[in-house]
Amino acid sequence: MSEELSNFGQKVRDRVAEVVVGQDVVVERLLISLLTGGHLLLQGMPGLAKTLLVNCVAKAIDLRFSRVQFTIDLLPSDIVGSEILDQKSGEFRTHQGPIFTNLLLADEINRAAPKVQSALLEAMQERKVTIGNRSYPLPTPFLVIATQNPIEQSGTFELPEAQLDRFMMCNRLDYPTPEQEELVLTRILGLGLKEEDGGSVAKSSFDVIRDEPVAHVDTLNAAMAAVQKVYVSEVFIKHCVEVTNRTRNHKHIELGGSPRTGIALVQAARARAFLHAREYVIPEDLFALAEDVILHRIRLNYEALAEGHSGTDVLKEILASMG
Amino acid sequence: MMKTTYFIALATGFLIAPLFGEELRSPTVGIAGRIEQIVLPGTELIARPIEDDSSPVVLRIDAVFPHGTANRYDLEFYGLEPGKFDLRDYLLRKDGSGTSDLPEIPVEIRGILGPGQKQPNPLPLTALPVLGGYRALLAAAAILWLVGLLALIFIRPKKQQPQDDEGKQKLSLAERLRPIVERAQTGELSKNEQAELERLLIGYWRERLNLEGQSMTDALATLRQHDEAGALLGALEEWLHSPNHGEGIDVSTLLKPYENVRVEP
Repeated sequence: MSEELSNFGQKVRDRVAEVVVGQDVVVERLLISLLTGGHLLLQGMPGLAKTLLVNCVAKAIDLRFSRVQFTIDLLPSDIVGSEILDQKSGEFRTHQGPIFTNLLLADEINRAAPKVQSALLEAMQERKVTIGNRSYPLPTPFLVIATQNPIEQSGTFELPEAQLDRFMMCNRLDYPTPEQEELVLTRILGLGLKEEDGGSVAKSSFDVIRDEPVAHVDTLNAAMAAVQKVYVSEVFIKHCVEVTNRTRNHKHIELGGSPRTGIALVQAARARAFLHAREYVIPEDLFALAEDVILHRIRLNYEALAEGHSGTDVLKEILASMG
Repeated sequence: MMKTTYFIALATGFLIAPLFGEELRSPTVGIAGRIEQIVLPGTELIARPIEDDSSPVVLRIDAVFPHGTANRYDLEFYGLEPGKFDLRDYLLRKDGSGTSDLPEIPVEIRGILGPGQKQPNPLPLTALPVLGGYRALLAAAAILWLVGLLALIFIRPKKQQPQDDEGKQKLSLAERLRPIVERAQTGELSKNEQAELERLLIGYWRERLNLEGQSMTDALATLRQHDEAGALLGALEEWLHSPNHGEGIDVSTLLKPYENVRVEP
């Protein structure tokens, strides 16, 4: 493995750390998603620097980035694009929507109507969209990072299990520690002003994201190829199958992990091993990724909910029974 | 000209008025009739309460006015059957005294149907049978519903745990570990058993170092820091997960300490 490749993850992390404080796990998950081509769902309160983080990663790897705020009145054509009548020529021309990008941040995906969610999720699956009578392939790499707010559920359309399953991972962001939050405030205080059109405006964290990338798409492609070479032992596959199977037979679980669970576990573990400079996956990868890969794919039964169990507790119990 | 028209109208009114009065005393079945300002002697009268559905006339006293020692009444009535009736029969004294001093108050209820009309069959009330019938049906339905509900609550099929797991859960960790370690030392482990061996050894060290309260990720990180457990984990990973399958690792020596393990309860 070349030095550029082995430092790829660390370089991106360092660049993100210049702007975003903490959130190391999310950065790792984002890189895993990028390296495997699996989509990522971020669940967390507003203001946890989700957009900043994705923007920063996109610039660090020289990727195109789009952000769509999902609302109830959003239409599928607002995302995928539409055909517009050109009055000069009298012909229809295609207007490609914001989905034609490398990194798409679908902010608050559960606020949009199911038909919009469905259109996006279909594009995520097939990596192409149809506008009018023509199909257009999406750029590569293509990654959707969707966010959901765990509170304020009124007026939202919860993603059904089948659609949640299409996200390789779902990471639950936590608030920064008091020390990290102090650092955020200190950094903000030192940002200063920027002058624009003869006036001044306070700089935001977005203004300090450096434009020059630390890696390019070629490096990413090479890293993706290296991930494919990470060795996955038969024993590790058996661990993955076992944990998935235990979610299907647990007394508190109504809906266990689908076959996509095992696939996502193996792929994500490979990428994690690559980021940790290993040539093979180990059980630690499985346990570290299990919550993000499995939790959004399982549904507790009524009895478990009535007894006050949470998905996290049940999954912890399953993982504990694995070792 | 105008004066003549007025007199003609007035005269016509006087001539027709008694006819309307007569019409009001002999309405058709179901149509209300009225007798206004009729003076009846004696104390105040009230309408006789209707005690059953068979009364052919229904009478209502619309208004009562004092009239010397007597009272003046506005009566309203309607008949349910054609025939001639005396409204005196449908009056009572308010003070309970008799009504024999009342004059006859004749009315006629005219029928508009021709003779020979077929009457609907009477609907006789029949007693409900002791067994069967609507009540018994309701009771049976209620019992069935209750039985079904109880069955749903108590006899709900439980999710079947794999037999294999039940058997394993009865064995202690040490009991499960021992035979697998023995087989590993002779090199007879299948891939499934290798996976189980790894899980059991992690579980053994979690128990031994009291890390059961920690998440698996944290527990593994702690185990890595431990001299003995860390070395074992590293060697296991090298043996079971690396592409060279742990060349140079002596499995027999590696697992020697776990031949006769005991986990303190």
